Amino acid sequence: MISDLILMNGYGIFVWSSFILTFLVCGIFYYKTRKTLRKYEEEFAKEINELPIEQKKIVIENSKIASKILSSYNKTI
Amino acid sequence: MFNFFYNNNIFTWIEKLTNFINSIFFALLIAGLSFALVFSPPDYLQGDSVRIMYVHVPAAWISLASFSCIALFSIFNFIFKIKHLTIITKSIAPIGLMFTCIAIVTGSIWGKPTWGTFWAWDARISSMLILALFYLAFIFIHKLVSDEDRANKISSIIAAFGLINIPIIKYSVEWWSTLHQPASIKIIGSSTIHSSMLMPLLLMFFVLIMYCALIFLMKYKTEIIRIKKKNLKRL
Repeated sequence: MISDLILMNGYGIFVWSSFILTFLVCGIFYYKTRKTLRKYEEEFAKEINELPIEQKKIVIENSKIASKILSSYNKTI
Repeated sequence: MFNFFYNNNIFTWIEKLTNFINSIFFALLIAGLSFALVFSPPDYLQGDSVRIMYVHVPAAWISLASFSCIALFSIFNFIFKIKHLTIITKSIAPIGLMFTCIAIVTGSIWGKPTWGTFWAWDARISSMLILALFYLAFIFIHKLVSDEDRANKISSIIAAFGLINIPIIKYSVEWWSTLHQPASIKIIGSSTIHSSMLMPLLLMFFVLIMYCALIFLMKYKTEIIRIKKKNLKRL
């Protein structure tokens, strides 16, 4: 039964290569997108942390998005 | 409607949606793959090679739908100057390009056992290749033109021109004599595909749509952070 699934009456090479290629490309694309997001989150959090305390407070109070990025970044480290 | 995208709670929504998709994605993927590779029947004419349809067709649908969204949003942006539409189109474009390439390559693999060749300059394949070029032009304009307003204008024009290609792709099999068969699934009118094949096809389409949503949310978040980072001093 497993050999039937692999060989697929001679079409296995075409079917399996299509599926493997699709999911491999999707996997790599997911990994790269996630990595870029993490990189931007890290850089943004670093820039906020480097600000003087007063300015940092203002940024966090004025921007909910900034505080959210900072908290989600802190969760991951 | 677009006020949603200006909402300060957007990151909370993105997180909630991402968690929801993550929680159901692998179960759906396993179900989709099981039906596509094991439970669905082979075609009476094409045999098991028909299983390639379960990745090729959803990829082609996604590539067409993505470009239609990009073009419509770009035209809206060109007229109404809604800045968030630029972020949305920039986030969709790489996903659309990837699925266009997947549709072309898997189609080419399917062509070998079906037509006896990996490539033919048939109307459907050629118009899909042109779609990939439109995607590339759209993405590279944003990378190469540093002035954002100018990049938006040029990319909107490219997207509007590219929109002409969408009905050409859709109806190419009816307008010209091509190697491709006419559409088996119709939104209006009755489909000519059996439910035992339609169900796995729709399931795989749903799985890939979930994947697209996941990537879109990550890309959208990245774009927002990039803009916030640029404007940090102004906050």
